[in-house]
Amino acid sequence: MKRHLVSATVLTLAAAVALAGCSASAGDSGGASGSTTGTDDSLSSVLESGTLTIGTEGTYRPFSFHADGSGDLTGYDVEVATAVADQLGVKAKFEETQWDAIFAGLEAGRFDTIANQVSITPEREAAYTFSAPYTYSTGVIVVPSDNTSITSFDSLNGKTTAQSLTSNWYTLATESGATVQSVEGWAQSVALVEQGRVDATVNDKLTYLDYKKQTGASGLKIAAETTDRSESAFAFAQGGTALADAVTDALATLSADGTLAAISDTYFGADVSK
Amino acid sequence: MLDSLWPLLHGAITGTIPLALSSFAIGLVLALGLALMRLSRRRWLSSIARVYISVVRGTPLLVQLFVIFYGLPSLGIVIDPWPSAIVAFSINVGGYAAEVIRAAILSVPKGQWEAAYMIGMSHRRALTRIILPQAARVSVPPLSNTFISLVKDTSLASLILVTELFREAQQVAAFSQQFMALYLEAALLYWVICLVLSSGQGVLEKRLDRYVAH
Repeated sequence: MKRHLVSATVLTLAAAVALAGCSASAGDSGGASGSTTGTDDSLSSVLESGTLTIGTEGTYRPFSFHADGSGDLTGYDVEVATAVADQLGVKAKFEETQWDAIFAGLEAGRFDTIANQVSITPEREAAYTFSAPYTYSTGVIVVPSDNTSITSFDSLNGKTTAQSLTSNWYTLATESGATVQSVEGWAQSVALVEQGRVDATVNDKLTYLDYKKQTGASGLKIAAETTDRSESAFAFAQGGTALADAVTDALATLSADGTLAAISDTYFGADVSK
Repeated sequence: MLDSLWPLLHGAITGTIPLALSSFAIGLVLALGLALMRLSRRRWLSSIARVYISVVRGTPLLVQLFVIFYGLPSLGIVIDPWPSAIVAFSINVGGYAAEVIRAAILSVPKGQWEAAYMIGMSHRRALTRIILPQAARVSVPPLSNTFISLVKDTSLASLILVTELFREAQQVAAFSQQFMALYLEAALLYWVICLVLSSGQGVLEKRLDRYVAH
């Protein structure tokens, strides 16, 4: 009896491993999203349902957050996404999730797009489809104000930083030689820097400036800034070109009529959309 | 798939397993103390244990982890990720296992106590020689439950910078974009670990059977 149980378990295990292996290789050939083959119904399905479902963090000031901590979801990215949905003639519906789960959610079809200061990187471009950019910013290294050992991205070598696993700042920090502690988001990253548990964190300059403005944190400073600007855009599942193009058109209209500049001015006091 | 097996196994061997084992060991000692306190006739002792158990069982483990790791620094207490995780998990196991042990002790028939006193044993001696060995047998299945839960709960430690099995899976998934495959693989590994534990439970049950009066 017992022997039967063991062999049954082994068999089940083997089958499950084989299954997992299959799904992995299916992903390799690019068939995972299903939209790469056949017709691209990304736009028509959104128009048909009348809703654009948008994945966002809801905890990432000033891009996506709750007013006063517990109020309505708002922020630069949230307002831009809402304006884009208006342009498409559909309702914007936001789904809040942790950053590290956001791309998995997009791939699983839980939302149509991500609005969360998603920077365009070569790796992401290989895996996802992007709209035209709507935010331009630089990356900064944030350190305690008494830190003098970090002055450039090169000097991150051998230091410890806190980053979200799937963020482009994680890649940047790793490439600079830093040991990266993975956390869930900006809030934890900056807490770790302030508590002296890590040496630094690399993130969007706009996020840092907003944090400083909001909390009055005096114990932090910018140690270095990237030379090239990062571009942020709406991300779509691979092959969702029709929807991405429609969003790009909507963004062009919103840029021309000054809507983007106005939203940007509300949050940053400057136009970061160009 | 095979490439990712090593990082996940590494996470299990250096993270999940030692974290679960050490927290469970400390938690059990804590639980035994708490169970005895709870059974004590001294009101203040049993009240302390009662409050402890109530707080631990009444608050989410994730919140406990965050309070210890991200919260305590505001009081000037900065604990490293690993000790923080072990403290949180031990405290948690202590609360749950205390009730298991208390129930197991209560399940030993009163007659066993009386018989022990009859042959001249002190309370302490009766407890350690007669009651606890029998209670140990009774508590193996529910304590195994607690341990198996703990093994899986250690995945929460990834939120306070401890790299264990699930964090390794997330890391590999973040770069390979193979979310489904990696999460399935992690699930399988947890399952295998728990299968081994379950078979250990069987062995332990058989071994402790000899202490039970029939």
